[in-house]
Amino acid sequence: MSKGRAGSAGAAADPVTRFFAALDQPGHLATFEGESATLRLDVLDGRKVERWHVSITNGDVAVSHGAGPADATVRIDRPHFEAMVTGRLNAQAGFLRGLFTCEGSAGALMMFQRCLPGPPGSTGRVAPISSKTVMAERGMK
Amino acid sequence: MSDGLVQILEGNTFVVSDDRGDIEASASDPTGLFSFDTRFLSRWVLTVDGRRLTALSTDDLQYFQTRFFLVPGSGTVYVDSKLTVIRQREVADGFREELRVLNHESKPVDLRVRIDAASDFADLFEVKDALKKKGRYRARVADRHLVLEYQRETYVRETWISSSAPADIDEKGLSFRIRVPAHGEWSTSLHVVASAGPAEGARDDRPARIRGQRRVRQDMERGLEKWLRQAPRLECDWQPLEQIYRRCLTDLAALRFSTLTMPNRSLPAAGLPWFMTIFGRDSIFTSLQALPFVPELAATTLMALAERQGTRIDDFRDEDPGRILHEMRYGELTAFEERPHSPYYGNADATPLFVVLLDEYERWTGDARLVKDLEHAAVAALSWIDEYADLQDNGYVSYQRRNAKTGLENQCWKDSWDSISYSSGDLPGFPRATCELQGYAYDAKMRGARLARVVWRDPALADRLEKEAADLKRRFNRDFWVEDGQYFAVALDGDGRQVDSLTSNIGHLLWSGIVDKSKARAVARHLLGPRLFSGWGVRTMAEGEARYNPIGYHVGTVWPFDNSFIAWGLRRYGFKEEAACVVAGIMEAAEVFNGRLPEAFGGYPRTTTRYPVQYPTACSPQAWSTGAPLLLLRAGLGLEPQGDNLIVDPALPMRFGSLEVLDLPGRWKRIDAFGRGRVDTDRITQR
Repeated sequence: MSKGRAGSAGAAADPVTRFFAALDQPGHLATFEGESATLRLDVLDGRKVERWHVSITNGDVAVSHGAGPADATVRIDRPHFEAMVTGRLNAQAGFLRGLFTCEGSAGALMMFQRCLPGPPGSTGRVAPISSKTVMAERGMK
Repeated sequence: MSDGLVQILEGNTFVVSDDRGDIEASASDPTGLFSFDTRFLSRWVLTVDGRRLTALSTDDLQYFQTRFFLVPGSGTVYVDSKLTVIRQREVADGFREELRVLNHESKPVDLRVRIDAASDFADLFEVKDALKKKGRYRARVADRHLVLEYQRETYVRETWISSSAPADIDEKGLSFRIRVPAHGEWSTSLHVVASAGPAEGARDDRPARIRGQRRVRQDMERGLEKWLRQAPRLECDWQPLEQIYRRCLTDLAALRFSTLTMPNRSLPAAGLPWFMTIFGRDSIFTSLQALPFVPELAATTLMALAERQGTRIDDFRDEDPGRILHEMRYGELTAFEERPHSPYYGNADATPLFVVLLDEYERWTGDARLVKDLEHAAVAALSWIDEYADLQDNGYVSYQRRNAKTGLENQCWKDSWDSISYSSGDLPGFPRATCELQGYAYDAKMRGARLARVVWRDPALADRLEKEAADLKRRFNRDFWVEDGQYFAVALDGDGRQVDSLTSNIGHLLWSGIVDKSKARAVARHLLGPRLFSGWGVRTMAEGEARYNPIGYHVGTVWPFDNSFIAWGLRRYGFKEEAACVVAGIMEAAEVFNGRLPEAFGGYPRTTTRYPVQYPTACSPQAWSTGAPLLLLRAGLGLEPQGDNLIVDPALPMRFGSLEVLDLPGRWKRIDAFGRGRVDTDRITQR
């Protein structure tokens, strides 16, 4: 298995490469302190298979290319994976829909799932609603 | 659940049928085999020689097992059948049905036995809202199975049906041409498996989940026995209390739910059968209630919620970093993101309550290990309170949904549309800062500070949290206090104005400890006063408010769960006799309901109706109603961990006589608690 650090291959415009480079960058995610898991992702692109290996050890994150042993293995077509790593497809929904398969530990998939970004348009903000509007919507006054 | 319907379940798989064991689903008749929020059988009808059967009796043997005694024919009062048909059904990853035909004649009989089967593969949400399906149906016979299939793009769900006895299988069911000897019997075992469809690359003729079925069943039987054996024993002069307690433990066992990530542990799901899933709020409240009796539920709840704690901004799911989920679903609408439950995060209370549960769990069990493992999750939850929940920049937790289409409007436990209103009946705008949320936030900070000091060894964090809590308490007692009425407003509206109706929410404030000592007596007086207290319990909204309605969901009914926390709150401020009155009222109601408290019952004055009037609800048992008597026992006995000791300071209704709870688990290993009823509660409950 090649041990090259993720992202070193260039292709900065590719969302998959960009996602893994960003995941590898901080080296440590406090969210996963006390937790450890490894996940292999087989990203299918026509006849080509791109293999990524993510390991989280007590919060320390390492991403590499390759097919080493892992707690769980995900197989997914590239377009779906691109949608996932850019926040356009929710992983849990995608899994229920059968857009990818996962063999092995559900916990490892769960951890990876939490590393994914939210939908592109989400701002976390919303305009307040007045009492008058609430009442009108309910057909009152 | 409507009368006459029989339900059995395991995990999130359950069967609802009529009293014959038949399933004939329609829009108004929510019967079926359900698993992972999907209906896998909408038709399952047994006939003998083309005739339907009649039920003689239906016995729930266990929560996962039912037996139906049937005879051919229907509609007649007089039964003189030469045949008996027995169906015994057990739920696991679908169900297994032992079908026996008994011939009572002294000559053999030839019969045609038939099971009709079909499925609409409806999402639970579709069952409730009668929505139209978008995928394709197919039925096929494969490898001695009838396979019912639904496919929408890559989403595949299948029902696999087979029989141990040879059957003629067609696309609509299974037929048996049988000869039953004189005074003899014929039997077969029917097996129905709910499957998420053959996984790509591992295409096998049988779904993966078909294996291991027998093992699952044995584990279930052993599990229930062990569960009941390990729970503390209760003895009481007042017999109904023993029955109530047994009912609680059995119902809690039925409500246990395992996640895919922790198949060997269980947490309480919210309600049976429609809410057999993780709900942040319900799972936390039930775990808190059950903590003195079955502490392992709390541990699993905390782990499962931490594992799914929010990490990003997602407006569709109302997700923020650190937020604890509201509800998790697995059906088709969730899969296609037509509903946000993957999971949905729209609540404002589960996140602070997560920290409250973590601290309370440690105080009882001394399990510092879990508290250490969840340090980051707890700190993220505490950060959410200040960074994401303070929508108005006024230092209070508020809520307003960002998913206006399918998100929840009221993100507190009173989640119906009219639950939060001004005294005049007008509805406030958004964001809304309900009062109990401030109490939970205060408690979370105080408890987080204790954990930081004792377990995480982070005194700086502890100091900061305590300072913030003190500041919150000071502001809260100023801004929410309704001077004229001498109580706390139910909320502040978007303009910071008081939403001034009198509600049961003030009882939760006592539980959280946010109430100034000088104001506590007035709050307790309201809770036991005629406007709020019905004689059975504290109403969700006080009589005299414009929206008060004794059978309004959150605007006048009495909720046992609500009352259990109110009783705990009264104890916290030293109102022992008042707490005993709440204990008495709800326990006496539980007696009327044969030990199983409904989600809510009518707020009519006790002296008027003499019996509590059940509010019609979809789910029974409901988890936090099941847990209510357990917390009421705690409040009545005055159980409070202090270091490695358990304080017992009983104040019980006179009716109880002597009460013993033996082998309460905790950091003290096992301890017994005794009490004698000395409080004359009738004075208040029967006035």
